Amino acid sequence: MPTSTGRWRPAGLWLRWSWRDLKSRWIQVAAIALVIALGTGSYAGLSSVTRWRRASTDDGYARLHMHDLRVELAQGSTVPQGSLLDVAAALGEGVVERAEERLVLPTQVDASTAGRAILVPGSIYGVSAAAGGPAVDGLFVHLGRELTGDDAGKPVALLERHFGKYYGLSAAGTLRVSGGQEVEYVGQAVTPEYFLVITERGGFAAEANFAVLFMPIESAQRLTGREGQVNDLVLELAPGADRAALQPRLAALLAERLPGVGATVTTREEDPAFQIINADIDGDQQVYDIFAVLIFAGAVVAAFNLIARIVESQRREIGIAMVLGVPPRRIAIRPLLVAAEIALLGVVFGIGAGILIGNAMAGVLKDFSPLPAWYTDFQWRVFLSVGIIGFLFPFLATTWPVWRAVRVPPVQAIQAGYRAARGGGLAPLFRWVRLPGNTFAQVPVRNVVRSPRRSLLTSLGIAAAIAALVAFVGLIDSFIDTIDRGERVILSKNAERLEVDLDRPYAVDSEVVRAIAGQPLVAAVEPQLRLGSVVIKDGEEVNLQVQVLALDSPVWAPRMTSGAIQREREGIYLSELAARNLGVRPGDTVTLRHPRLDVANATFTLVETEMEVLGLHEHPFRFVAYVDSNQAGLFNLAGATNLLEVVPAEGVTRDDLKRALFPLPGVVSTQGVGEVAEVIQDLLNEFVVILRVIEGALLVLALLIAFNSASINMDERAREHATMFAFGVPVRTVLRMAVVENFLLGIAATAGGVFAGWLLLRAIIAIRIPSTVPDIDVIPVISPVTLALSVILGVLAVAMAPLLTVRKLRTMDVPGTLKVME
Amino acid sequence: MIELEHVTRAYGEGPAQVRALDDISLAIREGEFVVVLGPSGSGKTTLLNIIGALDTPTSGTVRVAGRDITTASRGELFAIRRRTVSFIFQGFNLFPGLTARENVQFAIDACGRKGGPSADEVLESVGLEGRARQFPHQLSGGEQQRVAIARALATGNPVLLADEPTGELDFHTGVRILELLQKQSGPGRAVVVVTHNRQIARAADRVIELSSGHVAGDGPPAGGKANVADLYW
Repeated sequence: MPTSTGRWRPAGLWLRWSWRDLKSRWIQVAAIALVIALGTGSYAGLSSVTRWRRASTDDGYARLHMHDLRVELAQGSTVPQGSLLDVAAALGEGVVERAEERLVLPTQVDASTAGRAILVPGSIYGVSAAAGGPAVDGLFVHLGRELTGDDAGKPVALLERHFGKYYGLSAAGTLRVSGGQEVEYVGQAVTPEYFLVITERGGFAAEANFAVLFMPIESAQRLTGREGQVNDLVLELAPGADRAALQPRLAALLAERLPGVGATVTTREEDPAFQIINADIDGDQQVYDIFAVLIFAGAVVAAFNLIARIVESQRREIGIAMVLGVPPRRIAIRPLLVAAEIALLGVVFGIGAGILIGNAMAGVLKDFSPLPAWYTDFQWRVFLSVGIIGFLFPFLATTWPVWRAVRVPPVQAIQAGYRAARGGGLAPLFRWVRLPGNTFAQVPVRNVVRSPRRSLLTSLGIAAAIAALVAFVGLIDSFIDTIDRGERVILSKNAERLEVDLDRPYAVDSEVVRAIAGQPLVAAVEPQLRLGSVVIKDGEEVNLQVQVLALDSPVWAPRMTSGAIQREREGIYLSELAARNLGVRPGDTVTLRHPRLDVANATFTLVETEMEVLGLHEHPFRFVAYVDSNQAGLFNLAGATNLLEVVPAEGVTRDDLKRALFPLPGVVSTQGVGEVAEVIQDLLNEFVVILRVIEGALLVLALLIAFNSASINMDERAREHATMFAFGVPVRTVLRMAVVENFLLGIAATAGGVFAGWLLLRAIIAIRIPSTVPDIDVIPVISPVTLALSVILGVLAVAMAPLLTVRKLRTMDVPGTLKVME
Repeated sequence: MIELEHVTRAYGEGPAQVRALDDISLAIREGEFVVVLGPSGSGKTTLLNIIGALDTPTSGTVRVAGRDITTASRGELFAIRRRTVSFIFQGFNLFPGLTARENVQFAIDACGRKGGPSADEVLESVGLEGRARQFPHQLSGGEQQRVAIARALATGNPVLLADEPTGELDFHTGVRILELLQKQSGPGRAVVVVTHNRQIARAADRVIELSSGHVAGDGPPAGGKANVADLYW
């Protein structure tokens, strides 16, 4: 029985020996460890962020009692306060935990400061303030004070925090809303419906362009001239109540008890912000998974490459051990220990990198999304699982070359000199391929083809990094391109025009419209209608913002990609995405659920009309739909308008016109037609620094893999280089050959990487976009700049990698290398 | 053609210092076929490296083809290797990604020689016509060493240095290689072969025997110069 000393002595020897192997190649080891660290660290860090987001948003929903069901009356409709609560009560005892009526109305907010004009559309939320704020969809005050019962009836409000933060507004102050009325805001708060700011016109993360004011319901009623009226109800159901089952029941009760009032009932899951946040968290995790796998693949290939080289360089030592009768499993211990040490080092670096990446991302997210509380505790489960995978995969990848090495017959393993020389790989196939120039020009090509497996593995590692880079930047490009497409459509004519929302439909020759059209700053006015509707086909529903306009308008008219404008024919023009989702083409019939003015009751009712799809327009937003103004009778709104497209007079700025229109009666909001796109671009710009950091990290990754490969190549070709030096070939010429060889690898890897990145980008967009932003038709695009940058950087970074080994070449012991390599 | 005056090459410092060459002076003339003989550790490879401008002496002067290489800069040493000396190695050190012809052409490109025999002509001169398109791994050991000799000859450099050129080869092949090397000495060229094999030394015009870094003997081979065909080992 072996003594403990007997057991431990060999273990110590193996450890010391493998540690010496590690030290002798420490630069390559560090490079691979860093690659593993980037893979494990980025995955662990970003996955931690996913968990933090999930925990923090869930906490926010619970803490602020986000509604389970919400009732919204058709645009412009209101009912006497208490009517909606009565309907909710009819659901029965013990079903509803809390219910509150609200008055939600669009407005225009003027929060201009001394140095900046801030005129944006927004909403007024009249909510219960009796107990310090609403009990359902509560408010979390970040700055200032809560609303109190004493504020009821006074023009006092809380400002939505995202908006306040975006413009750096103080905790309290004064602003004006439509009609020029002053409102004092006493603090800045968030509510679950605005954990992400979404406008009904499809703007998401739209805090730069959308202001929400939460005020006591009495104040909202007084401010908007709707005393005693409400148009919104939010309900928190009792524990165990079935939201899905109660939704149609509540809708039926509304139809029964409030006939003629169009009302929609939505669940929490249908809330746009809730939907996007949840889908976004899941979608982000999917993207992290893909990137982590790619980075990891690079790390695994790099580890495999290095261990294979180490094993190759130990070939004779392995043979000698075999001759001495050491069993193969024992011989394998040394290279496997090296592999384990590299993987372990990578994981240790990875934990540090993960903590750094996670905290950096969390900092940005906290800033971007001011939730009531952020939970950023160390996600040890994530790190543990990533650590195990990060260790196992590179380690397992190295078992193959080790296994192969210890299966070689001892005689072969101890062979020296030319008898041990390898074959020429694919070089014989390329003997006829001659590049222009002398033999120095042929060497790099032959080197690439004579060891095809090594070239392939190196290219694969680099390609993985390039693919991640292309997919990542391509995602940004695709979003920007989508926004640009939308912008091009909208700005194709009279780009400086404004959209002016009116508080209700007016006759086109009414005083309100005439007052706007008569402004000296206005060059032209195009009366239109915009109405929220739903298009239905075979049970599939898509929400729309139907714009009713003269489709031959000189101010602006949409262009069709298929079908044709037929002004006299009843029909609708849908976006290509909506048509795709519904499975319809021009000529098909769809059902439109839309509001219709009930003149007798002065309210809107929802009706369903069969309509032909006359054409598909080119705007990338799904909810954008058009109906010709000749068909306005469909809504019982012929000759009426609730939306004006206003063209400013020559030399008049957008802000000047906004200021002029703001105090006019009937004006709810004014917005430049291109502002939604501008806001999204602003947001993208905010993230640009992070995006560039990630882009840089991926480039470093490609460079590390390339350097590693170049360094291994230099080691392996040391004797060839020494021979060249013996023939007086200068270091710069040897380096040039290595650079050209890597350049060729870089081209192959970049081409493969760009292609894989393109496929990946398509997959990410196909998987992620429909669930995250279903209303946007994102088409995969890699911009020429990104493509050129990826190609140039990918090829150059890889080609230049051998330059990092110049010191090794310059200090080479030429006689020793020529001799020792025997 | 090659002159060494009081050349010493020491490694390490203090008591651990080892003198691979210790105050050696010798001269090798044009047309000589010289064998440097000695056991392992005698300093023969160090001597070859210094003559070949791969190493520099700790003290003393070395002149090759009239140039003092002890005071030469790094760049000048590279130039000397390109235009003055050519190496033949025990392990051949051919470039595995290049064909036989390309290996020879590589040396021509490296020295920048214009004119003179082509790579094919040099290969023919070593009896490798018809093998020019083969890669090293497709050639036998003897053929590979012939390519290595052709590569060294192709430079046209006046000094040919061979380090244990037959060490990897069987007897018959070794004899043929030795014959080939012997033929290369002549007007304008000296051949220096380093070996530990006394039989090879018998084929030389002159044998310089080294022992512990000193010249232990310098003169014709003991028993006179033998025909290569009469050698055995």
